Parts: sequence; C-alpha cells; structure tokens
Amino acid sequence: MRLIIRDDKPAVGGFTANYIAKRINEFQPTNDHPRFVLGLPTGSSPLPVYHKLIDLHNRGKVSFKHVITFNMDEYVGIPKSHPESYHSFMFDNFFSKVDIEPHNAHILDGEAENLVEECARYEEKIEAVGGIDLFLGGIGEDGHIAFNEPGSSLASRTRMKTLAYDTIVANARFFDNDIAKVPKMALTVGIATVMDAREVIIVITGKHKAPALAKSIEEGVNHMWTVSAIQQHPWAMVVADEDATLELRVGTVRYFKSIESVQAQQELKYGNAALRPKQRSVHASSPRF
Amino acid sequence: MKVTKFTNCVCLQRDGSLAHADVYVDTHTGKIISGQDFFYAAQELPSQIIDCAGDILSPGLIDVQINGAYGFDFSLWPPLGTENLSKHEQTDAYLAGLDRVAGKIVETGTTSFLPTIITQQQDLYREIIPLLGPRSQANSAHILGYHAEGPFIAGSRKGAHAPPFLLTAPRGLSSIEGVYDSAATQLRTPDSGVKLLTLAPDVDGIAGAIAPLAQLPGVVVSIGHSDADVDLASKCVDDGARFITHLFNAMPQLHHRDPGVIGLLGNQPKRPFYGLIVDGVHVHPNAVRLAYDAHPSGCILVTDAMPLMDPHLGDGIHDWRDGRRLFKQGARLYLENTTTLAGSASTLDECVRNLKSFTNSRCFVDTQRQFRCRLRRGFGDSR
Repeated sequence: MRLIIRDDKPAVGGFTANYIAKRINEFQPTNDHPRFVLGLPTGSSPLPVYHKLIDLHNRGKVSFKHVITFNMDEYVGIPKSHPESYHSFMFDNFFSKVDIEPHNAHILDGEAENLVEECARYEEKIEAVGGIDLFLGGIGEDGHIAFNEPGSSLASRTRMKTLAYDTIVANARFFDNDIAKVPKMALTVGIATVMDAREVIIVITGKHKAPALAKSIEEGVNHMWTVSAIQQHPWAMVVADEDATLELRVGTVRYFKSIESVQAQQELKYGNAALRPKQRSVHASSPRF
Repeated sequence: MKVTKFTNCVCLQRDGSLAHADVYVDTHTGKIISGQDFFYAAQELPSQIIDCAGDILSPGLIDVQINGAYGFDFSLWPPLGTENLSKHEQTDAYLAGLDRVAGKIVETGTTSFLPTIITQQQDLYREIIPLLGPRSQANSAHILGYHAEGPFIAGSRKGAHAPPFLLTAPRGLSSIEGVYDSAATQLRTPDSGVKLLTLAPDVDGIAGAIAPLAQLPGVVVSIGHSDADVDLASKCVDDGARFITHLFNAMPQLHHRDPGVIGLLGNQPKRPFYGLIVDGVHVHPNAVRLAYDAHPSGCILVTDAMPLMDPHLGDGIHDWRDGRRLFKQGARLYLENTTTLAGSASTLDECVRNLKSFTNSRCFVDTQRQFRCRLRRGFGDSR
C-alpha cells in the first residue's frame, strides 16, 4: 500500500484526479475488457477529485466517452430525484459536467422492486464488463467505506445494509435535521467488491478523519475499521492531507513520504502497468476472508 | 427526444435566487425538463449544448403595452405605403409588419407581447382587431392577443391620443362591443384576441360596464387615461378591474385626501396589478421606488414603446402618423416641438435593468420571476 500525503484537500483532489486521468489515458482496451471501469464514491472528500477531473476534461486532458463507472452505494427509500440521493450527487457534481455516456454510468437502484436481485445484478454487471480497474473511495470517521459500517463482513458483496445510528444522525443535516426523514437503509457494494478492483484509491482528508486513518493502516485488518481491508490489497493507495495524518506516528509519515519519490522513479523506469500485479486481486484468485 | 442544454449560465431558482445551474430544454415542446431524469431514465445526451458564458438565463419577457416597434405601427391602418393597394394586400402588409416586429423583438428579451391599439377612427377597429388574434411564428415572439387603449378614455387625460376619435359609452357594454366587435371577432368569444382593455371609468357609461366586461373570458379590464377619484377607482376594482395602465401617467397625481387611481396601490382588500414604464423618463426613479415598495408583487413592467423603438435607430426627428412627427432622444420620444411625451423608445430589457438599478436592493430575479408568473396568471399565457 502507498500513502500519498499532500498539503490540503485541493492538493489531494489534484493529485488523485491527475492519477485517475493518467490511468484512463494509459488504458489498453482488449476484446473482453474494452472499457476502463471506474468505481466511484459520493461525499465531501471526493468532491475536489471531481472538480479537478472536470477541469481536466474541460481542458481536453481526459475523456470519459469510453469509461464505465459503478457507484458505491445509494439510499433506499428516497427517489432518485431527491436532492440528497446519490443519483443527484453524481449528476450534479460529475456526470452532467463530463462526456460520459449515460448508459455507462451505473448506480444502484434504491427504488428497485426487488432489492436483493438489484444487488446481485450489480455484481454481475461489474463482472460482465471485466471487473473494476480502479475503485476510488472515501471513508467515514469510523473508517467505513461505502455503507460498510463497522462490523461489516470484510468478505461482503453488494447488498442491502441498515445504516448505523451515527451515520443516520450525521446525515440528518441533509434532511432538514429531521432524523425521521433520513433513509435508514441503503444498497452498497461490499468490501470484497471494492477489494476485487485491480486498484483501490482511498482519499482521506481533514483532522476528524485522522483517527480512522491511523486505525486503518497502523493497526491490524479489522472489521471495526472496514477500510483496513486495503492492507490485503495488492495495489492500493491512500491519498491524505496533512490534517488527516495527525494521529499517525511520525515514523509512519516519514516512511511513506520517503518511498513516494522512490516509487515515482520506478514508475518512470518501468511504467505503472509493469509494476502492477498481473492478477486482479487476492480475492479474485484465492479464498475470501 | 431532442434536448438542448444551456450550460455555464446563472439562472432563476424557484425561491427567486440566482444560481449557477444547467438548464435542459426539450427542443420539441420548448419545456424545461429535468436533466437528471433525462440522463438516468432516457439515458441520452443533449443534442445541443449552448455555452452561456456566465450570462443570466431568464424566462422571456412579456410586454403588455407596446404600440409598435422597428418602424411598424400596430395602430396605423392601412399600413404605411399601402394606401392605394387592395384590402387583401393591406392585410398581408399588416401581418408581415406584425411578424417582422415579432421576429426582431426577441433581441430585446421579449418573447410575448400584446400589440396595443391606441385610439382609432371607429371604423378602423374592425379592420385591425381581426388580425390580432394569438399568433406565433418560428423563432419569433408570440403575439398573445391585443391591448386596446382607447377610445373610451377621458379627454382630460388623453395624452398623445387623437381627441376627435375619443368616445363615450352611453349604452354601456354594448357601446364598447360596438367598437371592438366585428364580423370576425367578438369580445364575448373566447380566443377573440382581446386580452387587455384600458378604460376610463369617469367616461360616460364605462363604470357600469366594467363588471360585465370583467366577466368575459380572457378580458382584463385596466383603469387608465382617467380622472377617476379614489372611490370610483376602487369600485372598479370591486367590479373586477385588475390592472392600472401605465401608473402615474395620464392620471391625476397622488393627493392625500383623494389619491385617485394611484391610490389603488393602497387599496383594501384587493390591489390591482399596475403597468409601470421604467424607462427612466416617464416615471422618476423615486416614484418607481414608491410604487414598487408599496406593492412589489403588483408591478408589471411595460415599455409603451412606439414604432421608433428599435435599438438600432438613431436620434432625431422621425415621421409618426397622421402627418405628425416625433423627436427621438435616446429612449425619450416627444411630439415634435413640444414637451409632450409620446410613448417610449425603451426596450423591455432596459426597463428590467432600470428597475433593478432604481430599486437597488431588489434582485433582478424578483422582478423577472414575478413578472412572468403574474402575467401567466393575469393574461392566460397557457404555454
């Protein structure tokens, strides 16, 4: 795992967006995997990434014409048109500002008649396009990724989840501060769905996320900090701002800062593709947790 | 479905604020649609994207008092230069003139208007009015119907109207119908084109005709060119009058014991809408503020524009009608060699900017949004 540390949120967004754009542009299509497949999050941490991706798109540096996206999650119990739905978030903050084809943008349907089937179909769709090349994620203060709240199985797949009380309270600010209006359920990809991606990038910014970052990368793999599963991923990267590193040990920070330049030199010499593991991930080829 | 997306624009929100947002319009129906539904449900992309480069994107303006523009006079029959032609050719020339104005005026932001017919020789109404039904051409402003200003107006408040043609209504409603009705169109018929009638209730026979007139579908009765006292004016409102024609102009000034027609801005319980010529000339900015502050939700901007309204036309003496000439100075128009204002040469978008600057703290938005909603309510714009 790599940890990239930048000064602030915009710098984290800039680094991550540039990295994603580079990966899209480098992508070599094949017959059974003709499109770059990108996993996407919602929330405040990824917003600077979207801003920068839109900027790169506007300057002609990247196109999403041939990119397929899968979002992490969506609420159950509010319509897609609700301003707080993740459909709305993605349309407002990203899809409407780039050249992605609507049929290539996938988001779980929280209004589906049969939610179990909807989740199963989602996994099938991901497989059908050759799996996810790069899954971008953010985390909550408790280290959850997507709606995989503390205690979620690290082997989980796309499914229905009941939201943790803390998450409902935190979300109330988006629903007139009325807990009754906050959706209590969501559809979400599982930890294993994320970890199946060929590459995982987690953006973590702000002082309030500092304990989660420390727990997730300095301690063991633990379902109470679900994002800690990236420790088992062969090609994962955390991009954090200085504030988010406040609870890390000085040694940890120094180590990751020092290897960043070494890594960059290696990439220059061999190319990113050559350094990446050839297999999709540990999960795709070996028994799950 | 073909959709045009307006992007990089600042547009009106439901709550009246301005916000950066994209607007998606169904190219076929002209209706604003949800871009998000279009994306996720129809799974399509806009067929056209228009970059507004940061400009304000606003609903089209509606002008309910406009006498002509771009050299064409709605009230002139037969049209200029067609005096020796057949009736058929005159009709064609008139409609071509209307269409020319409708096509050009969109450059000023006006997308609908009521051609306004000022006091005419009585016989001519039946020539002109049948031509003023609702009319829409491609890429042009909509003609919603007509506004008849006169001949039932007070001689003492005639303004630029021709005194010999002013009439009274001794037989009430039937006198009025006698002027506006023709074989082709009648006030009583829905969709006859009549939208707004400016009447002076102090003219003999008019006051009693307001209640039955206001009942007619599509007719909005407006009080104007009148010396009515406040009691008479508020009785008209009780009877169904819903509008005041160019507030402050062609009516007695506000007197605290008898505030007259202007006093309707303080009327209880119902206050009418009022047309306001905010060209900076007809009504002093302070008077604009007085009216607007008193009754902001009733304010409807009108141009009262003359045929000389043409953003591309220079200042100087220009021919008008009946051999009379007008002196144009910017947005000001005077009868030649007088200081009598003869309508305006302002465009409606200038009036909107003026109102915004005169009333300072008010947002553009407020005037725009309410203007549109109000007119929809008031004048049955069904689009």
